[in-house]
Amino acid sequence: MLSVDVSNGLREELEALALKNKARAIGVALHDLETGFRFSLRGDRWFHAASTIKVAVLLAVFRAADQGRLRLDDSLHVRNRFFSGADGSVFRVSQDRDATPELYAAIGRTAKISALAHAMICGSSNLAANLLLDFVGVEYARTVLREAQVDGVELRRGVEDHGAHERAINNEATADGLLSLLSAIRGDFLTPESKREVIRILLEQRFNSMIPAGLPPHATVAHKTGEISTACHDIGIVYLPEREPYIAAILTEFDPDREGRRETVAAISETIYRSLLQTKPKSNED
Amino acid sequence: MRTESLRPIDGLRLAEEYRALLRPDESEAGANGTVHRLPRFFYEIGSWEEAHEIRLAPHFTLAELMLVDCREATLLLRQFPHYVPCAILLHARFLEAFRREVDAPVFISANGGYRSPAHQIGGAKSIHAWGTAANIYRIGDTFLSDTKSMEKYRTIAASLGLAVFVRPFGREKGQTSDHLHIDLGYVRLTPRECSEAS
Repeated sequence: MLSVDVSNGLREELEALALKNKARAIGVALHDLETGFRFSLRGDRWFHAASTIKVAVLLAVFRAADQGRLRLDDSLHVRNRFFSGADGSVFRVSQDRDATPELYAAIGRTAKISALAHAMICGSSNLAANLLLDFVGVEYARTVLREAQVDGVELRRGVEDHGAHERAINNEATADGLLSLLSAIRGDFLTPESKREVIRILLEQRFNSMIPAGLPPHATVAHKTGEISTACHDIGIVYLPEREPYIAAILTEFDPDREGRRETVAAISETIYRSLLQTKPKSNED
Repeated sequence: MRTESLRPIDGLRLAEEYRALLRPDESEAGANGTVHRLPRFFYEIGSWEEAHEIRLAPHFTLAELMLVDCREATLLLRQFPHYVPCAILLHARFLEAFRREVDAPVFISANGGYRSPAHQIGGAKSIHAWGTAANIYRIGDTFLSDTKSMEKYRTIAASLGLAVFVRPFGREKGQTSDHLHIDLGYVRLTPRECSEAS
């Protein structure tokens, strides 16, 4: 099937899914490394990044390691006290909302940077994310995104910074932007060792009810989810043994009380997978 | 290991690379215009094992009072010997007295004991560079992160002497909201066998 037909078919199916599940908005970006097929449905629409922003922090941490600014086996003081991106006021993250409560037992002590990176991604720890971002610095992380030529990811502050949120200072991203972030990770922006480690961390994701849920059991996914009251996202690199991987960024926005949000992302993931099975492999002449 | 085994070192005689970081006997202006001289005499610690073995007071090892994270200067973080100001002995004794009063284990945080003047947090302007300050994040099973617990232990610490300073609880500059900061002022200790002649 021609790519243009796949694109049109996929677009129609995704629009129908969004309508059926009463999504306020969806943004999808896709790059199939098997066929070269690229797809973007409202890929330039901005969404609250939620926890997908942690992938940008992860990139900055490993870039800093590659540049000798830090060592991954260095220890960082674990404390729950951060400064708002709005006015510098002090705030804390909530243990109740953190998927890695065990890290709170280490408050006052130290944790390895590598362990924090793992907790930030695999358990989506807000505490770990803020500790790492506080250490490398927001400006440095933004510089890394620029150097990696990632457009469409605006990292402005730590997570759970309610003071900043009230002033509309938020981390935002587009599907195209998050796709380019994952592409930078998969490309040669990081050293081969760092790239391998970043992908290993993403592969150990503990929350698998979205992109992986729409795939056959033999698929593995290096991914990161992100959920807040209105946003429900998953971005990842999908590995299938019979073919080259594909990269997908699925961003959705719902009314706060709407149910079935993760199922919608999983359904989008399944639709993408089915569509890609129809595309032709890249020609050697491409 | 007993504290008698500690050997004092005149910081002015250390290698240049260490003097540049520890800045022995140098003056440092504080934020409010006061000027203080940084510690000159240090104990040399050969390894972490040694630091863990040296008990400065019945319930405080040297290791607990010198644990820092990677914001410390590379030379002082990654290799031994490490150097701690001699006044840390007095501070440990004070902390033991505090522990006795509160009748519970007192936990000093990472970066909460001695930090060198080259440490990224506070640097030479922080009283932690004198080895006479402690950040306590937990007493017994209580994490000190609310007004009630902080005030309770703040009162006990302050009752131990006029020289004791405890930062007030709060989220403004000069206040603490997730730990108890206690210090004894800019105490410098010259061991009996050391000379202050240059």
